[in-house]
Amino acid sequence: MIYTIVYGFSIGAILYFISIGLSLTFGTMRVINFAHTLTYTIGVYALVSLVAFLNGYFVFAATLAVIVVIPISYVIERFIIRRLYGESLDYTFIATFAVTLIGVDVIKWIWGVNPYPTSDPIGKYLMFWGLSLPIYRILIVMIAILLFLALNIFFKRTIVGKIVVAALEDKDGVRCLGINVDKYFSIVFVLGSALAALGGVLYAPISSVHPYMGLSILLLGFAVVIVGGMGNLKGTFLSAFALGIVMAVTARYWSQGAETMVFIVMAVVLIFRPIDI
Amino acid sequence: MLEINHLDVTYGYAKVLHDISLEIETGQMAFLIGRNGAGKTTLLKTIIGLLKPRKGSITYQGHEISGLSPEDHYLRGLRYVAQEKKVFGNLTVRENIEIAAYASQEPVERAVDKVMSIYPKLKDFLETKAGQLSGGQRQILLVGRALVGEPKLLLIDEPTQGLAAVVIEDIVKILTGLKGTVSAVIVEQNLSMVNRLADRIHILKEGKVAREIMDKSEILDTRGLEEYL
Amino acid sequence: MPIRNAPVKDYGVISSLLIAGGYLLLTPILSTHRVTDFMIFCIFAMSFDLLYGYMGRLSFGHLLFLGTGAYGSGLFIKYINGNPLLAILVGIAVAGLLGMLLGLIVVRTTGACFALINLAFNHIGFFLVLSPLRKITRGEDGFGVSVSKLGFLNFGSRPIMFGFVLVCLLVVFYLLKRLTSSPYGIMIRSIKEDETRVRFLGYNTYLYKWLTFVLAGSIAGLAGALTALNYHYVNPNAMDVNSNVGVVFACLIGGAGNLYGALIGGVTYMIISNFLPLYIHRWEMFLGISLLIITFRFRKGVWGYIQSSLEYFIKRKSFFRPA
Repeated sequence: MIYTIVYGFSIGAILYFISIGLSLTFGTMRVINFAHTLTYTIGVYALVSLVAFLNGYFVFAATLAVIVVIPISYVIERFIIRRLYGESLDYTFIATFAVTLIGVDVIKWIWGVNPYPTSDPIGKYLMFWGLSLPIYRILIVMIAILLFLALNIFFKRTIVGKIVVAALEDKDGVRCLGINVDKYFSIVFVLGSALAALGGVLYAPISSVHPYMGLSILLLGFAVVIVGGMGNLKGTFLSAFALGIVMAVTARYWSQGAETMVFIVMAVVLIFRPIDI
Repeated sequence: MLEINHLDVTYGYAKVLHDISLEIETGQMAFLIGRNGAGKTTLLKTIIGLLKPRKGSITYQGHEISGLSPEDHYLRGLRYVAQEKKVFGNLTVRENIEIAAYASQEPVERAVDKVMSIYPKLKDFLETKAGQLSGGQRQILLVGRALVGEPKLLLIDEPTQGLAAVVIEDIVKILTGLKGTVSAVIVEQNLSMVNRLADRIHILKEGKVAREIMDKSEILDTRGLEEYL
Repeated sequence: MPIRNAPVKDYGVISSLLIAGGYLLLTPILSTHRVTDFMIFCIFAMSFDLLYGYMGRLSFGHLLFLGTGAYGSGLFIKYINGNPLLAILVGIAVAGLLGMLLGLIVVRTTGACFALINLAFNHIGFFLVLSPLRKITRGEDGFGVSVSKLGFLNFGSRPIMFGFVLVCLLVVFYLLKRLTSSPYGIMIRSIKEDETRVRFLGYNTYLYKWLTFVLAGSIAGLAGALTALNYHYVNPNAMDVNSNVGVVFACLIGGAGNLYGALIGGVTYMIISNFLPLYIHRWEMFLGISLLIITFRFRKGVWGYIQSSLEYFIKRKSFFRPA
């Protein structure tokens, strides 16, 4: 049982990394970024190549992989997302989906279609109450919690964070106070994408690596954001972990139904609390 | 100081402002009055850059500013207070002022003192979340925010709308204190306030300038103005 | 302005002939089988356009209904009765029923919520046929559909199948054309424009949205049933979530909100997805880039441009006519 919880929390942590960017991008720019997990996928593939190139220094490769993603996400924001401000949602959906199509194809072009094998970089277990728990997974959860605290500080204490919080509520008001909000939204977007890449990089060793991995986890990311509330940082954190547990518990009794259960939860939430976009 | 020439503004498919031309002199407090839907808010929004005019020009201190963004306008000293009385509800009063001080790079403490000086009662609420303030307090906070930095021209949209008489008095007092130091264009329906503060009145009717009143005695004639509301 | 049935002009017959002719023209170039395929997709595209183009709701899971129709009719033939016409009706009915059930929940939402919840249901459906219902649906492998004769209608024969599908397409086209020019159609389009206002006028928009959803689902179910009969085979690909992009692309490129557009878009997409991979290895990238270009430049789609060019020319002509 404890193993299930650890497992669930680690999934939740990864979901959290991915959903933050999604939630923020929607909260600030009112754009649903279907291409969000493209950076997730790119980060993972970059990691795979970098690890091979650097002969296995995981941490270094992981950091580099996340950094590599930053200019790519900037380009996406600058040329696509920014043009979608204020557009009707079908077009943002379609345009960002198109970006995903292009991105996935580029990945297939460079790295091929076949999945890459990966393994747990730490591989050690923690003996805890007679159970052996994988340290790696626990580490992921710790990082997620640290991230949550860091984001809290960022949004509550720094001026940039406060500007974003203000702009989430009243974008025009912030603009009329002389602040170029779009610049800060870009920063938020790139941050969100980098975090998604981080999530990918951390998850890669314990999952499969293939070109379409972004799409499957994107849907889960949407579910987290819908359950937790768009633009709601605390809600995203809680719902990510909650859904992680849902997945873990479902996987225990019904091995393939984990993702479906998340969607059922999402559908139920949408029924009782339809979002107005 | 501010010159508007032959301005045409459309909102979606509808033309809201037709061929508007008017002038604001430095140091004056001009009021815009007119019925609901006459285009007053649209005019203010166009001046501050939230809307772009179809035709015409807006000149401020000799420079053409129409079509620029609100951020650019801020740096030139234009300040806009919207009708909706929206504050940054999730941030405290102090943080609201902090954001206001950001672009003009004014030290936060100085900005806070400035706002407290125009309305000392707000001091007790500095650490309260702005969303918890009453309507009147919010309005005053908004005016305070607009005064941070070096404001030259205030554009205020219906400051007394929906507020209690006591609060309205507070606001009139604040604005009276500002007279002469800042120029202002204020949209109002409250005629007694207009009487007391206006140096000039522009009357908008169905998107056009119906009348301009610069005569002091005429300004005081409430009855005559009422017909335009 | 009194709302009454817009008179269906006589060109209804002409347009049907034109459409039929168009498809027939393609057959010597491609094969009968391929064109039948195209036509089935066009039926699906029309059902999607009803939701997206006319009612303004983008669903990223419409394939669920096609899959349901395919499985519904396929399973009917496999386990109950080999009568193809009955199977088609069953397919439509099952899809329609699903539409009725899901519609109750789904049409209350809008925008991204609508798109995502449909996506979620599509995903759930795909999963269901893949795993828990594996015993019946044969999971990933799918199952064969043997088609028996019905009088002179031998669905095994390709030309017969072609003809049958063509008739279905024309019927659906005619039906939707009538429907969209009727007061119902005006209602749907008004809901797309401004639902709140329509509600303020006293109409039960929920009912209309629900009806449209059910109708769109049923027609998609028809397409699904025809797929099963055409391929003599049903597998989970009929419900693959990722394939939704195809129909979205089709409606966009053809012009959303326009039945002719759905047809043109459908054929275009089919040609692209069937033949492009043979010439351009990176066809998905091409698809993505063209989608981007369309959303940023060519919103109205091909048919939209044809329409506005026609209008332009008509205006120029009338300039010379005395007032």
